[in-house]
Amino acid sequence: MNDINTLALLGVIAGPVIFAAAIYFTKQTKLRNILVLGAALLTSALGIFIAASPSANVYPDSWVVYAGAGLEIVMTLAVLAIAYNIRSWAVGLFGTIQLVLVVISEFMHGESSIGPAFVVDDLSRVMVAIVSVVGSLILVYSIGYMKEHEHHAPATARSTNTFMFFLVGFIGAMNGLVLANDMKWLGCFFEATTICSFVLIGHDRTREAAKNAARAILINSFGGVALTIGAFLALLKGSTQYSGILYHADIIAFSFIALAGLVKSAQMPFQSWLLGAMVAPTPVSALLHSATMVNIGVYLVLRAAPAFVGTKLMYFIAIIGAFSFAATSALAIAQSNGKKVLAYSTIGNLGLIFTCAGIDSPLGYSAAIMLLCFHAVSKGLLFLCMGTIEQKIGSRDIEDMGSLLREMPLTTVITLIGMASMLVPPFGMLLSKWLAIEAAISSPIVLLLVVIGSALTVLFWAKWIGRITTVSYHPWYTIERISISKQSVLAILATIVVIAGLGAILLYRDLFVDIAIRAYQGTYISQSDMKLFEAAGNIPYWPFMAFIGLALVAGILAYFTVNASNVRAPFLCGENVPGSTKTYEFRSVKDSSHLAWSSSLYLRHIFEESKTTMWANLIAAVIILSMFAAIGVL
Amino acid sequence: MSETIIKLLIAIVAAPLVGAIIAGLDRKVTARMQGRVGPPILQPIYDVLKLLIKQPIFLNRVQILYAFMHLAFMMLTLVLLILGQDLLLTLFVHAFATISLILGGMCVRSPYSRIGSQRKTLMLLAYEPILVIMVVGIYLSQGSFMASDVVAAGAKPLLLSLPLVFIAYMMAMAIELQKSPFDVASSHHAHQEIVKGVTLEYAGPFLAIIEIAHFYEVFLLFAVVYFFWAPYNLANAAVGMALAAGAFLFHIVLDNTFARLPAMWIVRFMWVIVFLMATTNIIWLYRLGTI
Repeated sequence: MNDINTLALLGVIAGPVIFAAAIYFTKQTKLRNILVLGAALLTSALGIFIAASPSANVYPDSWVVYAGAGLEIVMTLAVLAIAYNIRSWAVGLFGTIQLVLVVISEFMHGESSIGPAFVVDDLSRVMVAIVSVVGSLILVYSIGYMKEHEHHAPATARSTNTFMFFLVGFIGAMNGLVLANDMKWLGCFFEATTICSFVLIGHDRTREAAKNAARAILINSFGGVALTIGAFLALLKGSTQYSGILYHADIIAFSFIALAGLVKSAQMPFQSWLLGAMVAPTPVSALLHSATMVNIGVYLVLRAAPAFVGTKLMYFIAIIGAFSFAATSALAIAQSNGKKVLAYSTIGNLGLIFTCAGIDSPLGYSAAIMLLCFHAVSKGLLFLCMGTIEQKIGSRDIEDMGSLLREMPLTTVITLIGMASMLVPPFGMLLSKWLAIEAAISSPIVLLLVVIGSALTVLFWAKWIGRITTVSYHPWYTIERISISKQSVLAILATIVVIAGLGAILLYRDLFVDIAIRAYQGTYISQSDMKLFEAAGNIPYWPFMAFIGLALVAGILAYFTVNASNVRAPFLCGENVPGSTKTYEFRSVKDSSHLAWSSSLYLRHIFEESKTTMWANLIAAVIILSMFAAIGVL
Repeated sequence: MSETIIKLLIAIVAAPLVGAIIAGLDRKVTARMQGRVGPPILQPIYDVLKLLIKQPIFLNRVQILYAFMHLAFMMLTLVLLILGQDLLLTLFVHAFATISLILGGMCVRSPYSRIGSQRKTLMLLAYEPILVIMVVGIYLSQGSFMASDVVAAGAKPLLLSLPLVFIAYMMAMAIELQKSPFDVASSHHAHQEIVKGVTLEYAGPFLAIIEIAHFYEVFLLFAVVYFFWAPYNLANAAVGMALAAGAFLFHIVLDNTFARLPAMWIVRFMWVIVFLMATTNIIWLYRLGTI
């Protein structure tokens, strides 16, 4: 461990926090924006540096451990303060339990030979790369977003300084969380992200925002309690660190940590806080509630997966994930609120990652990490697109996105890239889904749930893509005017999505497979897994490139060579109204003109949220209880 | 290398021709069943040639892009299959080909075309899980996802271990061939609908592209039936052919005896009866412990 690495580690955690503090006290908007930009540059540079550096451990001086313990108490007190502020006895109860456990554990002693307080290994490097790069891009985006948001936010909204403070500070906390090995530090950063989430969801301070923020902190502090209980149980057996829990294969302690993970990743039945979180300004949804914070849960489980190979616990985690995937994919169908569809899809994909982790084979592990990376980038991009669209058309409703392609061509094309990355074969998401199904082949229930889920996802993506590409013929397009920070971030993220998507097979073969095999070092890797690893690496590129290229070339050629005189109006229920700029009006009875309109498919009679959620939650709760029963806690 | 080229030629050139002839035979046999003489067997090819030289009428440019994507992904499906690639991946590519067609129907402001697309989405939802389960079944019985391993010499016929999955596939195939009672998205027969469904707003060469893609799909669907009896041996190939011919007749009879059913009814039928049937077969394989 050399000094540069330690400094980088410190920088990527403390740097954003220091910047955040500076931002909070900056009066001038311009200076504040420069500081945000600086935080973004510093974090992404350090993040990439850490991601590229070799594995390393930071062994604590005793003050590091004490600092972690102290900060954890501070965070718990902050939760209690919030509980008082929102007058929630439940949050207060959770906070008190945590405080008591944390204070008691201060007086207990762990193993004498302690491991590293912070660990830079494959998994944390992947996470730091995601948090720093995607996170920094979202920070830059939010400069432009908040400028506009200030204009039409309700008068009750908090200041943008507070917003930026928590948004930038969050990145430090998140980096700390994925690098921490010491349970005290882990708990402290876990609470810190919960608090950031609470404040940012409630940013507008409307009645709805306050309500949803309260729900978010309620559910997440329940997760915090589970984590603290897990850490406490581990301490009883002598481990003060996550690696210790894994080393002792302390399954009871881990089951509580996994529960905390399920809560933080909003798996069913805990999903309601994430859906409510969509009232927050869009950068928050992109950063906390899709690209980074909700990954904490899958991160905690993935870190532990190799240590608990073949346990019932992992099997149940796979089932919970697969069930969440199937159920949220069904629930998303009935939603016309674009952000809610994205939220459901996020929960579903996190569920799929849990599934892959729970399958606990190297193949599943590699699929999980791949899914984690591609999902963070694609979903981050889609949320940012959604925010841009919402600020322009003033609505989140899918049905209102009818002529987007004409009104905001650039954003729409980027949105389409994002959506295509969720749906089109050579892109990463579909490859991961494919691997997930192949990895799930040994457990039929998981497999069936994943199959059902992935069939259902097609329904809402196709509907949405169909709606935003619906246009009448126009010989020219408007030039879109959006702020430079938004535009550049969208362009950069879209480029990352395209390049990473097209290179998905290479990335998989040369990176994710190695990570998985290293993680499972020492455990037996089955013959069929090795065969599938090889098969995935050997997918030939050229047919994909050739045919997709062909379609694009032919399509683009046709695009520019078609003759405007061949344009016709669509067939409606009667004669088209001549001269109408809207080509979807027709002559009806007594020559009155009528609008032909057909809405998209929502299947509300089957998948309506209010009807389905209760049953799905019930089933999910039963699965979680059986998980605890299966390992003998209940 | 030359083998790859021959395979590619088969996939790209021969497949649509065979598909067109199957479609022509379909029309002929159907006509005879209804006591008509019917068009020449090559009629589908004549139709496409005629469409290609007609005026390229269109509604918007996105529509054209989707038509090309539909064709390209359909061709890609066949190419991947003939190169012996992973079946599940091939299936996803095929699903995206269908999604392209759906999007092509959706992106115009015509309610009929949009309704056709929405029905097609439901049909995709109805049969896609069945196809995935079929691939899982193939894996369980052959121990590999690769198409090349399924047809490898010595592989035992799939039909023997996947009889229920085969029946389920027949249903899925009927939907994809747009046969009654599953032809809600778009029908080949005028008596079924007053206004055409998903392809309503396509005309001229762009409609021809979709027709050609359909030929590829027809070939693909029957090729899968054929592979349910392991080939690479003349006797087996004959059985496979007979199987495909039987499937062909089955679909024509089905088409002529049923009227179309509501889209949601089809989804329920597929997700309950057919899905259970296929799953039963899979569970049976799991119990056998072939894996």
